[in-house]
Amino acid sequence: MLRIADKTFSSRLLLGSGKFASPQLMQQAIAASGTQMVTLALKRLQLDKPQDDLLSPLKAMNIQLLPNTSGAKTAQEAIFAAELAREALQTPWLKLEIHPDPRYLMPDPIETLLAAEQLVKLGFVVLPYCSADPVLCKRLEQVGCAAVMPLGAAIGSNQGLQTRAMLEIIVEQATVPVIIDAGLGAPSHAAAAMELGAAAVLVNTAIAASADPVVMAGAFSQAVNAGRTAYKAGLATTQLHATASSPLTDFLAAL
Amino acid sequence: MHIRLNEQWLQLTASCTVAELLQQQQIPPQGLAVAINNTVIAKRQWPAQQLNDNDCVNIFHIVTGG
Repeated sequence: MLRIADKTFSSRLLLGSGKFASPQLMQQAIAASGTQMVTLALKRLQLDKPQDDLLSPLKAMNIQLLPNTSGAKTAQEAIFAAELAREALQTPWLKLEIHPDPRYLMPDPIETLLAAEQLVKLGFVVLPYCSADPVLCKRLEQVGCAAVMPLGAAIGSNQGLQTRAMLEIIVEQATVPVIIDAGLGAPSHAAAAMELGAAAVLVNTAIAASADPVVMAGAFSQAVNAGRTAYKAGLATTQLHATASSPLTDFLAAL
Repeated sequence: MHIRLNEQWLQLTASCTVAELLQQQQIPPQGLAVAINNTVIAKRQWPAQQLNDNDCVNIFHIVTGG
């Protein structure tokens, strides 16, 4: 079981709710993924546009809703967004994300650490999206974050574990769950993340933008389970030279 | 009195609370957050929180996102 703060989850796959072609498709993909935690975002209400009821079906599914602070460029903006999110969803759980540059959406490590420290003091359960920097992850842990969410690659890039060597150090050092977020583009990437010891992964674009999001959600769920099972089993070591799996005897020497 | 609601000026015939404003504007309260003059107003305070002339009210709502 995955434990974050005071809650336990049997699924180690977190889903982002963005980019689905319709709310119905999003709900079906969430159900197919078996996820128990889904991210959401905030927007200023457009008074002249009717709103879809996004929340009722999600609440009926009994999943932890995880609002994010997307759009925040500074710690100050993120704290304001966090307070809005807490009221909108009546939850202190928060995915903290601060990315000032829209081209690469790289998280600002300095603003993220500043905001995380304040938000923990304000009673939030903070899950920060962050660079795959072992020192930063340790600092985020030390200020009281409930988990760390280092990136595999740029958000929505589908490039997989580009930061693999750093993620291995982060996992090895962490005393809070490491959730690998962003850039996972295929179930094999998610399996690899789980094999290296991640506590969970967060996937959005790779599922929502696939040709069949519902089937892909199921594929990611299987990959996460397979990767976790392999991690617990303990992978055999890699080496340069071959080692025979069959006996190399001279039983054919008489020919 | 006048308030600014999500960047638009709005005339109110009488002073009202945040909860009354949402009702008048027919905005369902689910998944909403409200800030007055850049201070977030807790949901439990909406029935008591009075609006004042020239207040800048912003309403936010939950949308999909990763």
